[in-house]
Amino acid sequence: MKTEKNLPRNPSSIKTRFAVKFLQAMNKMNKRKNPSTSMAVKYKRYQFIRAAATSSMASAVGPRRAWSRAVLRKMRNHTAIHRFPMNNKTRTTRRFPITRRKRSSILRGNPRQEDDLGFGQEDDLRGLVPGGQGMDFCRLLSETAHYIKCLKTQVQVMTNVLHHYST
Amino acid sequence: MGSEESGDRVFEQRGDSSILNYPFYGCNWDPIVFNEFGNQTVESSSHLLHFPSDMVPKISNFGSGSFSEMVTSFGHISETACHSNIAQNSEDGTLGPSPYGKRKRKLSPNNAEEEQHKDPSGDTSDFPNKDDDEKQKFEQNIGTNSRSKQAVKQAKDNLTGDEISKENYIHVRAKRGQATNSHSLAERVRRERISERMRLLQELVPGCNKITGKAMMLDEIINYVQSLQQQVEFLSMKLATVNPELNVDIDRILFFTCASNPAALGIASGLNSSHPFPGYPQGTFNGAPGSTPPFNPLPQHIWSNELQGLLQMGFDHDPSASSLGRTVRGKGNHPYLGQFQHCGEDYGRH
Repeated sequence: MKTEKNLPRNPSSIKTRFAVKFLQAMNKMNKRKNPSTSMAVKYKRYQFIRAAATSSMASAVGPRRAWSRAVLRKMRNHTAIHRFPMNNKTRTTRRFPITRRKRSSILRGNPRQEDDLGFGQEDDLRGLVPGGQGMDFCRLLSETAHYIKCLKTQVQVMTNVLHHYST
Repeated sequence: MGSEESGDRVFEQRGDSSILNYPFYGCNWDPIVFNEFGNQTVESSSHLLHFPSDMVPKISNFGSGSFSEMVTSFGHISETACHSNIAQNSEDGTLGPSPYGKRKRKLSPNNAEEEQHKDPSGDTSDFPNKDDDEKQKFEQNIGTNSRSKQAVKQAKDNLTGDEISKENYIHVRAKRGQATNSHSLAERVRRERISERMRLLQELVPGCNKITGKAMMLDEIINYVQSLQQQVEFLSMKLATVNPELNVDIDRILFFTCASNPAALGIASGLNSSHPFPGYPQGTFNGAPGSTPPFNPLPQHIWSNELQGLLQMGFDHDPSASSLGRTVRGKGNHPYLGQFQHCGEDYGRH
């Protein structure tokens, strides 16, 4: 089992930052109201928790990474649209920008997607990683690595919180 | 140039250090040539203008000469360049392919985190001009010059006269038997960088040690990311159902977070508005040392049990989860799906 320590190893690691923010959000949600736990309420809570997990992870990472920037931007757009659902001017999302390689391949006429191997894997990966549309493959891979690391810590912390709740 | 390499020790930029087996850093070929080229008159430098003229199509014809004789001829040229006018064809010829060796790589602004490149704008424009002169000079040196390319950059700096930005260029050397086209060099650099990233991803994704090949590796990565995202969703669903109890613990945990970790104070203080210290201002650390002493004997023990458990219990929880998944499903030996099945099982019971 773990050794007895008074402090976590790294008080400013991504894990602790995410844990604090996530618990904050959970607490805020619990304090709101406690109606009967019907299915609709549960579903709403589930959506809220999912959004809280993603956004607290992104804010714990900060604007240093492209995927966290994309997540934060999406959150901001989401709240802006839902609060002021008035006109189309608030849509600032950038969809599928033409990367440099796509541009060069279009100009030259020959497809330069060597890494695709014809199975569309690159596009799948772009769809999975937030903000993956606007970067080239090399950058996409490094963003994926960091994203995987953050997802792992997210799963760990949430599992522990759940375990803590259920005992 | 050494500083340029030392700056490239960061991960994203590291890919090129393996390529940079440039043997001339030790010797002073570059500065000599550069200085000499800079000092010479226009007409002598005009001879040098011819050098990188059209080495692109010719280099592919190179024989398999040895690298050492290339080096020696290169060193020989450095002396002659220093002293003579370099009006002789032979020296021009031998110098011809060699400066062409080093290619300047330019990447898009997207890769700002990686090496800073600038495509030599004069690169393609220079080539069509000096086609004819170099052909006869070139034939002599096809035998000698084999696989390496030398600093075309110096000649180019002399050409344009204003590109002193050595540190913006990554020197790539074509290996023996490989195509030395500018495009293929760029492709090779890119491919090496990508393979390096794939290796790192291989370490991150469990169970990928035996997999070779980019396609299967990408498949594994995609599956893993999908499974992690689904795990997060399942966990949030479970948290939504289990949630309503145990509010006070979170409050206590967060309060004791700021008791022992002032860095988290600003984060947690906003939450504790309903806490016994209602007048606690947000984001100010000054009040913390004064307010926490009465609680100090208590929180240390609780801290170590609660928040630490929250953060670090995952390492113990995962093996148990996967073992549980194994007993339940019988196929929990998958590196990361076993844990996932465990979550799914519990959720089904609710």
